[in-house]
Amino acid sequence: MYPDKHKEIVTSLMEGRFITVEDLLFETIKKNEDFYIKFFETSFGFELIGNHDFFYLVSSETNENTSRDISIFFSILCYELDKDGKNFLEELNYSEFHIDEILEYFKNSSWLDVIKANKQLNTDENIKRHIGTMVKRNIAVKQSNDRYSFTKAHKLFIDFAKDLIKDDKNES
Amino acid sequence: MIKSEPKSILQFMANHYDLLRDLFDIQVKNDIITKEALNVCLENYDKNIQAQLTEYQILVEQNDDFAFNEPYFILFEFIHQQFKPLLPEEIEHFGQAIRTLFLKIKEGINDDKNILSERIEALSNQIKKFTNAVVNNTKSLLAESKELKANNKKIDYQEKIHKARYLIENYISPLNTILDVNHSQSIYNELLNISQFSNVKRFDYGDEIIRREFEKLYFLLRQVGKDLNTQSVTLTNELLPLIDRIKTESQYLRGFHYYLNNGNCYKGIEPPRIFISTRDNIYNRFVYENTKEYFEQFKNEAELILVEDAQQTNDWLFDKSKYKETLNKNLPVEDFFKWCESSIKQESDNFSFDNFFMVTSLLFEEDYEVKVSNDRKMITVSNDNSELIMPKLTIKKQEDVS
Repeated sequence: MYPDKHKEIVTSLMEGRFITVEDLLFETIKKNEDFYIKFFETSFGFELIGNHDFFYLVSSETNENTSRDISIFFSILCYELDKDGKNFLEELNYSEFHIDEILEYFKNSSWLDVIKANKQLNTDENIKRHIGTMVKRNIAVKQSNDRYSFTKAHKLFIDFAKDLIKDDKNES
Repeated sequence: MIKSEPKSILQFMANHYDLLRDLFDIQVKNDIITKEALNVCLENYDKNIQAQLTEYQILVEQNDDFAFNEPYFILFEFIHQQFKPLLPEEIEHFGQAIRTLFLKIKEGINDDKNILSERIEALSNQIKKFTNAVVNNTKSLLAESKELKANNKKIDYQEKIHKARYLIENYISPLNTILDVNHSQSIYNELLNISQFSNVKRFDYGDEIIRREFEKLYFLLRQVGKDLNTQSVTLTNELLPLIDRIKTESQYLRGFHYYLNNGNCYKGIEPPRIFISTRDNIYNRFVYENTKEYFEQFKNEAELILVEDAQQTNDWLFDKSKYKETLNKNLPVEDFFKWCESSIKQESDNFSFDNFFMVTSLLFEEDYEVKVSNDRKMITVSNDNSELIMPKLTIKKQEDVS
């Protein structure tokens, strides 16, 4: 017998979505973690990665461009939130952002050369589309009135940046 | 004078870029490249290129040591976007040149046109240099302040504050004054005055060439205004509040700084692995809809009805053998054209001359002999539309000819 909502879990993960702790499916997958790890490995050769915040699939191929764009997006947003005197960790975890607020942070950012070089972030329209991509992957959630919040999946991308200097790589 | 081809010099620089980059870093750090430092660098790369470095005038001797020739140093600063912050006095130097030239232009507005034109051009150059200096200075101050914020060198808080204060007092605040629109003596305000002046003169100056010069100056200043405004926003939002900003510090912020800096996010650093929606399914999940759609396009195809033309056209066809047979039976014929007319009329009263001439082509058959009638009379052949006047021809069979 398969766990409850098995089809929904498989479909979601196979569409590249993150199943996060905010999600009802999270409990089921957490309870049956060993089963799903084996299931995806045996059926498709995919690796299921999970922690106490989210689950997601990886395969031998990766969507490097999208992942890079998302990592840059969070790096700049956090930097600008900090510049604005806000605690970016709390903001990403608990706040909602109006789309105009996000656009304004990018417009006034001093990382302009990075933004200009990125086709997903170089115009207001592209940033909106990029946020749409994050919604599809359940990294962001669209609330009412053009407001967005971020799921716990954002941690993958900001922890990635944090871990870059774990070994004091750029201390020379 | 440099004897070598420009291409050779650029090729040389490309071939030995890493070594030149090291020398550039040494000069940035120490303001000079000592003879020993140069030798160590050449040995490290195992290159014996000191002669070319001086021949191409990339390095110039300074007593026993060396330094980058200024144009090359500026080139390296530019391609690395790594500028040494200028002291306000250095930027102010452009301001002085701008003020003096503007004064000369106003005082000599009715002087010789050539010198006026050259002064306008010189003023434009100084304005461009000033803008570049401000833009580059903001970039370098921004890079330094970001470095301080990331605190990669893990200096303690007191030292960090000390460094920030030093930057603000000696570089950031004075630069802000230079760009301050509320400060009557700021260079920015002087540029606004020049902009207004050139805007008037581009319309009312008597000479067309000078009018055009003022117009170029005016458009340059419009762009400069936008560029300086961007720098001013960076100064206000990011640099002046530096002391406040460096209060917060975290490994996350150091990570973001490292990732975004020097284009690192575009080279060398792989982002987290994320899933690509698989294409390995045996069939597309929309296969049913797609197939249905494919067949439905034919189902709704508009019915094609062929309607035959109800009105039959009576195309007349020349039955040569039939006419020839008739002609042969009637030979000799005294009046060939009349015979043609009457023959064709047996089929249809309303004949066309095209049809008529087809019948007359029998005339050229080999087995007939044709003569113009002895009486040399002309005959007429007519249909509903027109009338032909033709000679009377007699036609016989060849064998009848005696």
